Amino acid sequence: MRRASIIATSLAVVAGMGLSACGGGGDDSSASKTVRVTLANHVWTENIKKALPEFEKQSGLKVEITQLGEDQLSDQYNVKLNAGSSDLDVMMYRPLQEGRLFAKNKYLADLSDEVKSNNAWDFSDFQAGPVEATSYEGKAVGVPIITEQEVLYYRKDLLGKAGLSAPPKTLDELKAAAAKVKAAEPGVAGFVARTGKSPAVTQFSSFLYSFGGDFVDGSGKATVNSEAAKQAYAYYGGLIKDQGPANVSTDMSWPEAMAIFTQGKAAFYTEANSLYKNATDPAKSKVSDKVGFAPFPAGPAGSKPYNIPSWALGINDSSKNQSNAWKFVEWATGKEQTLAQQKSGVPSARTSVWANPEATATYPKDLVEAIAASTKGGVGHDRPLVNKVAQAREIVGQPIVDAIAGKDAAAAADTANAAFQKFLDDEAK
Amino acid sequence: MKASPAYRIFRVVALAVVVIALLAPLLWMIAASFKTNVDIYDADKALVFSPTADNYANVLKQANYVQFIGNSLWVAFASTVLSLILGVPAAYSMSRFNMKKSALVVLMARVIPGVSLLVPWYYVFSNLQMVGGFGVLILSHMFVALPLVVYIMMSYFDSLPVELEEAALVDGLTHIGAFRRITLPLSVPGMATAGILSFIFSWNNFMFALVLSGAETKTLPVAIFDFVGYASIDWGGLMAAATVVTLPIMLIALFVQKYVVSGLTAGATKG
Amino acid sequence: MAAVTTPTRPRGTSATPDTPGWARWANDHRKWLFAAPAMVFVAGLIIFPLVWTGYLSLTDAEGSVRAESEFVGFQNYVEVLSDTDRFWPAVGRTAAFTVVALLFEVVLGMAVALLLWRPFRGQKWVRVAILMPLVATPVAVGMMWRLIFDPNIGLANQVLGWVGIGPQPWLAGQHSALPTTIFIDIWQWTPMVVLILLAGLTSLSDEPQEAARIDGASTWQRFRHVTLPLLMPTVIVAILLRGIDGLKTFDILYATKGRGGGSFHEVETLNVYAYGLSFDYNEYGISSTVLIIFFLIIIGSMWALTSGRKGAQR
Repeated sequence: MRRASIIATSLAVVAGMGLSACGGGGDDSSASKTVRVTLANHVWTENIKKALPEFEKQSGLKVEITQLGEDQLSDQYNVKLNAGSSDLDVMMYRPLQEGRLFAKNKYLADLSDEVKSNNAWDFSDFQAGPVEATSYEGKAVGVPIITEQEVLYYRKDLLGKAGLSAPPKTLDELKAAAAKVKAAEPGVAGFVARTGKSPAVTQFSSFLYSFGGDFVDGSGKATVNSEAAKQAYAYYGGLIKDQGPANVSTDMSWPEAMAIFTQGKAAFYTEANSLYKNATDPAKSKVSDKVGFAPFPAGPAGSKPYNIPSWALGINDSSKNQSNAWKFVEWATGKEQTLAQQKSGVPSARTSVWANPEATATYPKDLVEAIAASTKGGVGHDRPLVNKVAQAREIVGQPIVDAIAGKDAAAAADTANAAFQKFLDDEAK
Repeated sequence: MKASPAYRIFRVVALAVVVIALLAPLLWMIAASFKTNVDIYDADKALVFSPTADNYANVLKQANYVQFIGNSLWVAFASTVLSLILGVPAAYSMSRFNMKKSALVVLMARVIPGVSLLVPWYYVFSNLQMVGGFGVLILSHMFVALPLVVYIMMSYFDSLPVELEEAALVDGLTHIGAFRRITLPLSVPGMATAGILSFIFSWNNFMFALVLSGAETKTLPVAIFDFVGYASIDWGGLMAAATVVTLPIMLIALFVQKYVVSGLTAGATKG
Repeated sequence: MAAVTTPTRPRGTSATPDTPGWARWANDHRKWLFAAPAMVFVAGLIIFPLVWTGYLSLTDAEGSVRAESEFVGFQNYVEVLSDTDRFWPAVGRTAAFTVVALLFEVVLGMAVALLLWRPFRGQKWVRVAILMPLVATPVAVGMMWRLIFDPNIGLANQVLGWVGIGPQPWLAGQHSALPTTIFIDIWQWTPMVVLILLAGLTSLSDEPQEAARIDGASTWQRFRHVTLPLLMPTVIVAILLRGIDGLKTFDILYATKGRGGGSFHEVETLNVYAYGLSFDYNEYGISSTVLIIFFLIIIGSMWALTSGRKGAQR
């Protein structure tokens, strides 16, 4: 171990750049009045940008925002944090996707003291599930800003065609209803959802839990070939294969799946609630006035959708400006901003905001009910909780794709389980 | 030789097909940039739609593109000028002294996969406190532009007769004097070619800018991804942004066609 | 062959006696004075990353390059070279992408160049049209094609619909994605081949053509036995230039399929794979190994083609 890092260090010296030490964290001696914040393209970010002048005025700080797409964001983090760069202060990240790795690599500053420092800001107000996802080894390393639950999107006008008066309550009802619509309406699929190996994993997870399965069991063993998991794979894949759009692509993430739904070409769609505006905004959706929302349908184990923090704010451990960075985080995640965010349709992690009727006034009523139902039975993760999430998603997502392609889901699940177990063993080493 | 009428008709038809195939997608992109998102999603409005300039208003005002255009211009300009300053004398020396191996060192920059450079560069430059500004970005773009300049100028100097310099030497000029007073003025067209080409390649560069640019230094190709959001793709804005990025460079190519062509084909025809 | 012209005078004799010392020194050392800055610049930016990548490829670095890693010798190379799941398919795709795209680009490029060879009215405008895809920003072009090939709302399926063909998945299909990206590459880069070949054709002398015609050779025979052999060195230059860029294609693949090259890694070439290993998986050891092998592949193909070029000239 030592030897390798000695070689690395001498390499650095050879290149003549041992000049200045890697930015050590926590030292505010050179604290700057400028806080550098990196954010993803998201409605949340747009809202923050609009409210920013107010923060700059009251704090006397200047905030510099870099805004990037989801993938470009993580590319930049990977390069910059890797190099121990101090030119990031606040970062918006995905706790379940990158959170563990970042925390393990000590990219994220320990915020345990900060979150307790202000009673009015009130850390205990945040929902327990999201807070757990932004903690590492018992320490808070991030503050959840946006939560996500899986709900059923459906077409109110097509319910009758499905022989129903209310949206399906169970997965069996969903299957039957989808088949009826597909038979009755030429050119309209009964059901659509993500099909891409990696993107589908998160939306598939609710099906997995509702069948009584999970990716990993309590002892850390892979369980994607359990009886429940096999049924879930077969159900999800079969539903898309049989009731989905004709020659369905197996590479759809939400933009493609959502486009099919908003073009009026599918009756039912399971997706994250955070995307609902795509379906209800007349500028984006042809069926904006016909979209309904329902809680995730129950399987053999009940209705168990995920309830997760999709994004959080963290502070770069190498930042030299941590106390000012925290001022920004505190403001952006405070009750006032959170309420404003939620009013514009961004579901928050604060209990008090969800209790405030004003906060959900702009939401479709049925969506609020669906979300409320999800937060009760919800599961705190929507993908395997590991360090190398991207690989894990591809492994456990393979049976989804195989099932859609009409291959044997059970056999694919066995193969995936073996690969996943090996992956878990490698990571535990 | 006179072409037969049949061949001429065939040529007109064939070239028309080629031109349409090459230009139609670009025209479609421009058309889409004038559509609302609902119209883009509506297959019936593929060709007939009521144009809107909203996407451009969005791109230029809200998305801060004016600043990104400025960034792209500055980075491309600075890296081009610096590459010319370094590259032209180098190409001269390499051409006149036939330094093939040395030329290979510079051309290596075109061959090495960019992915292998990103993390190490960032590591080095952040330790030198150089990231975040335009400095690193310009350096990385020079890495793209310099080999082009050297390659183009070498083939230009190869084609420039050495006798003119020799005559100047007889007149009492030093070698460097002859280079400065005789060769350089004669190579203005070559430098224009090299400069335009390196400007274009720097402008179009994505991979280096993706990682090395910051909030204040973001260039246009990276800024395109601003329209691919977590919860929505704004196709109209995306196409307007794509148009804003490509149009200036296509206009440049239109007006200085001759130079672009000779730059792209430099060195291809000599033996 | 390159015009090799070394000044015939012995060094230093041309400086007049009243030249200051430094100028004389500069004059005498102009060869390296001129060449060195550019070489130092490029070498400086290459050597450290190359050594570093080579070093990382011998370690099990993952997660972060600053984290402690162990020296594992050539284990990564063994692992990568025996990986038939991701690595070899990526090699295959890189080869397929480059070879198929090149083949089309050279054949189509040759056809168009021949059409443009003899001057005619409006030729200038055709040349301008040809230049456009070539200079357009690749990322923007990728986005443009992503919309055109969108299975639900894209122009491509729309046009197919007009002629009665059903919708195709294009970029979204498991088997159609790679051909579609190859198509995009052909669209963007055939013009480059056209321009290079056109420059080559224009530089050919007319005499062999005339001689062959007087001998009664047909158009095809003249092309096959006169034009093509004379043009061969230019064709190889075109292949060389396009080949290197083809192997390294990144922007278009990233813009159309994102990281990892799609659900089935259907457009995952070596460059995309190495990028994913670094930036998605944080497997720096393995990633560096792939990059080193990739680099050797590029150098190897270049070397093979350059020797081919020399062979063609003889």
